[in-house]
Amino acid sequence: MHQRLSALLVALVVPTAFASDQAAFFEKNIRPVLAQRCYECHSSKTVASGGLQLDSRDTLLQGGKSGPAVVPGKPNDSLLVKRVSSDDLQIRMPKGSSEPLPANQIAELRAWIEQGAFFPQEPESAPPTPVAKNSGVYPRPATPEQLVYFESKVRPIFVNHCYNCHSDAFKEAGGLRVDVGISIFAGGNDGPVIVPGHPEKSLLIQKVKETDPKKRMPQESKEPLAAEDIATLETWIKDGAAWPDETEKLPPTPARLVENYKKLKAHHWAWQPLTNPPVPPVANAAWSKADIDRFVLANLEAQKLAPVKDADPVTLIRRLSYDLTGLPPAPTAVKAFQKNHSQQAYAQLVDQLLATPQFGERWGRHWLDVARYAESSGPSRNIPYPNAWRYRDYVIDAVNRDVPFNRFLQEQIAGDLLPAATPAEHDRLTVATGFLALGPKDVNQRFKARFKMDNVDDQIDTVTRSTMALTVSCARCHDHKFDPIPTRDYYSLASIFSSTDDAVGLGSKMGGASLQYYEPRELAYLSTASQAPEIPKDRVAQLKAETEAAKKAVDALPKNEGGAPLSAEEKKRQAAIRQRYLSLKEDLQLITDLGERGYGIHSAREGVVTDTTVRIRGVEERHGPVAPRAVLSLFSLPHTPQIPENHSGRLELAQWITDPDNPLTTRVYVNRIWEHLFGTGIVSTVDNFGSTGDQPSNPALLDYLARDFIRNGWSTKKLVREIVQTRAYRLSSDIQPEYVDIDPADKLIWRHAPRRMETEEIRDSILASSGQLDLSHPHGSPSMALRMIEIRDDGPVVQSILAAADRSRYRSIYLPLLRGETPRELAAFDPVAQTLVTGRREETTVPSQALFMLNSPFVGNQALLLADELLAEKSLSDTQRIRRAYERVVGHDPTPREAQRIKQFLAKYAADWADTHPNPSKLVPVSAVLADAARTDITAGIVRSDSLTQDDEVEDGKTDQSRYPRLKPNSSSQAAWAAFIQALYGSAEFQLIR
Amino acid sequence: MSDNKPIITSRRSLLQAAGAGFGNLALAGLLGSVAKQVSAAEAKAVNPLAPKTPPLPVKAKRIIFLFMEGAMSTVDTFEYKPELEKRNGKSGPGGGTITPSKFKFKQYGHSGAWFSELLPNIATHADELCWLRGLYTDTPAHPQAVVQLHTGSANASLTRPSWGSWLLYGLGTENQDLPGYVTINPPIAFGGAANYGSAFLPAYYQGTAITDQGFMPNIEAATTKDLQREQIALIQDLNHNLAESPDAPEAVDGVIKSYELAFRMQDTVPALLDISKEPQLVQDAYGVKPGLDGSFARQCLMARRLSEAGVRFVEIRQPGWDHHTNLHNGLIEQSRRVDQATSALLTDLARRGLLEDTLVLFGSEFGRLPTSQGADGRDHNITGYSMFLAGAGVKKGFSYGATDELGMSAVDRRMHINDLHATLLALMGINHEQLTYRYAGRNFRLTNVAGVIQKQIFA
Repeated sequence: MHQRLSALLVALVVPTAFASDQAAFFEKNIRPVLAQRCYECHSSKTVASGGLQLDSRDTLLQGGKSGPAVVPGKPNDSLLVKRVSSDDLQIRMPKGSSEPLPANQIAELRAWIEQGAFFPQEPESAPPTPVAKNSGVYPRPATPEQLVYFESKVRPIFVNHCYNCHSDAFKEAGGLRVDVGISIFAGGNDGPVIVPGHPEKSLLIQKVKETDPKKRMPQESKEPLAAEDIATLETWIKDGAAWPDETEKLPPTPARLVENYKKLKAHHWAWQPLTNPPVPPVANAAWSKADIDRFVLANLEAQKLAPVKDADPVTLIRRLSYDLTGLPPAPTAVKAFQKNHSQQAYAQLVDQLLATPQFGERWGRHWLDVARYAESSGPSRNIPYPNAWRYRDYVIDAVNRDVPFNRFLQEQIAGDLLPAATPAEHDRLTVATGFLALGPKDVNQRFKARFKMDNVDDQIDTVTRSTMALTVSCARCHDHKFDPIPTRDYYSLASIFSSTDDAVGLGSKMGGASLQYYEPRELAYLSTASQAPEIPKDRVAQLKAETEAAKKAVDALPKNEGGAPLSAEEKKRQAAIRQRYLSLKEDLQLITDLGERGYGIHSAREGVVTDTTVRIRGVEERHGPVAPRAVLSLFSLPHTPQIPENHSGRLELAQWITDPDNPLTTRVYVNRIWEHLFGTGIVSTVDNFGSTGDQPSNPALLDYLARDFIRNGWSTKKLVREIVQTRAYRLSSDIQPEYVDIDPADKLIWRHAPRRMETEEIRDSILASSGQLDLSHPHGSPSMALRMIEIRDDGPVVQSILAAADRSRYRSIYLPLLRGETPRELAAFDPVAQTLVTGRREETTVPSQALFMLNSPFVGNQALLLADELLAEKSLSDTQRIRRAYERVVGHDPTPREAQRIKQFLAKYAADWADTHPNPSKLVPVSAVLADAARTDITAGIVRSDSLTQDDEVEDGKTDQSRYPRLKPNSSSQAAWAAFIQALYGSAEFQLIR
Repeated sequence: MSDNKPIITSRRSLLQAAGAGFGNLALAGLLGSVAKQVSAAEAKAVNPLAPKTPPLPVKAKRIIFLFMEGAMSTVDTFEYKPELEKRNGKSGPGGGTITPSKFKFKQYGHSGAWFSELLPNIATHADELCWLRGLYTDTPAHPQAVVQLHTGSANASLTRPSWGSWLLYGLGTENQDLPGYVTINPPIAFGGAANYGSAFLPAYYQGTAITDQGFMPNIEAATTKDLQREQIALIQDLNHNLAESPDAPEAVDGVIKSYELAFRMQDTVPALLDISKEPQLVQDAYGVKPGLDGSFARQCLMARRLSEAGVRFVEIRQPGWDHHTNLHNGLIEQSRRVDQATSALLTDLARRGLLEDTLVLFGSEFGRLPTSQGADGRDHNITGYSMFLAGAGVKKGFSYGATDELGMSAVDRRMHINDLHATLLALMGINHEQLTYRYAGRNFRLTNVAGVIQKQIFA
């Protein structure tokens, strides 16, 4: 590398008069640096942070708020040079980057300014980066003789001396692999290692000839490579570095599949064009005039079934309220609706609920399930996404504003490519692409190419399954066995997504602790980042001093290689010293970091646009033919958008998915809505419309709904309104025993199928009933205080996050949702898995749910709080209190039999409690819990980094619930009332919605 | 589409079956008056965890897995490779410097198995162990390899059910009052909860996590037993009222049953995990003590108690074997933590006759290289490593497969993780190709599309 750099500098000393040379120098050395390191904040196409745009000569000379960026001929007077060379982290550019620009890049910038800062017009299409150009040397031409030489002489050297650090079974040290042609010729982190024909220019040769044993390769060997082996390598490179063409032929799609594909394309219902079904005639026309009802009734009548009676108003308002907002109806609303439940009153109620912000929280949550939303990378090395909540808020806001669903999808798949009138709108659209970015990522995947393709796979699966219920990911390794999706189609989509960059802020590494996975450059930033307040200099200086002092303490620790094992105390002491330094070092590194300060956006953006190859059997290293960027061949639409040469194709994919002629997107979405309102979709396999999915129970209705949805401008609210107004939705849950045999799953909707509350509804309802629920929308998430540093399951970070969830009184959608770290309040009732598209929650019934209801401090405390409130109202009779508790918890009055049973219970429980608690202890006052909950800062108490190395041991993880005070009753009546209310929470009546 | 039949019926048909309703009898069971009148057949119809008779001969009824997280160096513990001594300091295959173990090796028992001085207690069981010496896996990094060891697949973006979940799905539980799948001190990184999760299998089958102090959330009753009994009786009465209504949700019966089970678990689980009830002699034999040094011993003792009570799959874990540096002292310290406890567990299980139907598995996600890394370390090796089995269904004092003379690559009777899983399932009576679950349009299994049962190790 040094040789290359000095060669470059020599070339620069002799200024050339030819503009073409200057242009070449600029394109090769300057524009890539500006584009990769500066344009994110300083270009006419992004944010002109500080008023500065670096993408034309005029704007460079004009400069920003601090004056001209470049003074031609005078690098020392140019602000650009000053800012990139500064030692002061506060002013050093690029901002948010832990490392300064490499010295060679700074030298090149200086040289460029020295020569007059020549700045040619931007070429029409971006020039390929130098590395990409050099990597084009593979596959290589080679004669059979050269290949024999390679296999017999050269490859054994790689196998015997290099594989332990540079191959498939071990690692990719320095980003380099030598076991696959495409990898070795692409080079490693330091660029190409082989320059065919020029052993003297090849890094490979330089490294094996290196005299300093510390830098020499093979690194872990005491002995250098034998001279004859080095000579062999030199000969081989001199002779052109022959390597067999490892590109493989794509196995042909088996004849059986070809035949099957043809049939399925022609006949499988899901990818045939939408029909325009007429509203069917029904015998019992008086039952309902609504179109949807006619479709349902016709289906029932065909089976000689009739709908059961309508639900009573109390049941109906509870059902509607939960379905639309995820919350119980207010007792007053229940009373009012009981009095007047006319069609008009119901319609008004529906409109009111649709207009509440809680609608967006409930239905936004449905979409977050589908979007496999989470606030960390899970599952290998769990690294927080501190800004993920912006995507969460984007979704809630979009649902509440009823952004048309087609637009909603376009924003999430290609928001960064849509025009934005204001910086705020640009930010919103960037946040929307978090849909692509926030998937699970295996940052410890040591092979970069696999990391990339695994993320691409996550995006393909998420996009195709969420929008079209297609299991395209099955075709990663082979032609789809059941649906007409050949592997080639999968890789055409892969070309689109591999031409897209993840701007999530993470890179893959081979090991690594602390901030090593965090890459601020791989983040997008809010437009307001340019107005970020300055960090006081003295604070930086103080931190620097503290860090240096801490480092000295670490350096002073006794070295113990091979000595006697340390005592436990000594280990603890040393660990504390190391942790302090680590923590300070992180603070210093991040003090001016814009991501750290909350301006980051996890998103997607256009990358280098190139078509990738089919991977044979999905193996990253086995390359087949190129798969040009394209949409699926499953069906063809009248207007399939063409992907321009310089586009990734994401925008065109989004357009194709949301084309009204796309037969899947609207069917899949209206089916999701139906499922959320009826418990089962018209197609029960909501995430799979392929040939292994279920058939629609009412195909005409499905198409009617899809057409209707398009007619109504892809409005979610309109469709929900229309469906909940139907008589079918308003049926009771009564069972007709003779129907159970005919249609046990209630596919035809002869009754309303009851459902279990989702886990968020259970927590929210308990808090609502106890008067503790805070319906406001908090700013951000407790996770926003975290850093992009691995969190350990039992570490201080996770403990503090779970404690924040314990303390929270906001709706469950606002709880911290790190992958694998489900809040204790949500864990029992089948929380969503957060790793894959999930259109349907599980509804298991297991003892841990009963244990949660009986023994968790959360449920116990809320029961006591409600008991306390009821008892405090002295004017109430016990009968009234029981009724009040029923209203608050289950939304209706107790039957006389139940009231009787409860009175018995209260009396006996109080007496038995008094017997066993002769001296009721002074309880933790209820107000203490309230005060704790009232802390407004949701990030209070969050530990930002574990500051643990991989070997640090932590004792007694997960047992720390001490910060969760369990309230104790201070009288027998309080104990009895709390026990009764807790029993109500535990009852099936509470958990099940009819 | 595959013709494989899942061993149990689908979740949907279970729920439909649940509609039949037998709630009153279940309540009676709880209150103890008309106990046990629920017919076994009826209980099975609704309970996805009911014990099932597997299709193949059952050699082992339960498993205890002793997981050495971080990759224990086998060439320093029980892979004796004299060739390393001979080629000390020379370049190893693929680069690096060959470095023999600094620990002394010795042969034990009639089988003559070699052990280093690090494991003197486990060594006394030489003739009971069944070695798998030709193992290999796919990915040389902990997260993927740990997840693959536990779920069969290293793909982090599509988490699969863990092996314990597959076992419960296929076999049900022996003791209905206990969770059937317990993981003590589970991995905190390297996939975390994915290592004992049920992924797309229903939550019935997920592992129950317990700390090395025997703590399980919400298991301690919040009040006295009598008071809680009164409270549960009230809940169940309310549930029965609901069950009698014409619009009763089918799920009510499941809720009723869950309280019955929960009430029993509150008694049984904490009692089982309370190892202080064990005689001092037994505690001493395991090396039970507080703190990190006693963690593995406590886990071993809890594992024995859980297995004895009929828990199908118990996993315990000793982390800290990732010796890129500090290999020498690290191995001494780690071995001290596991050697005595593992040995005591094997002795205790044998003494109680539990080894007859309990299978013990000991090992890591991969091995370490025979070459050195830095001054005092070894790097990962996925191309060849070993584990051992003991107990039900496997040969004793037997060694299967081998690495090359340097302990580098598996060369003889090689065994991939998928093969290991297939073999373990077969010992439990399940054909791994038939244990499938339909999800996202395809049938999944623990062994993906691979796995060969290695019958040669069967007793």
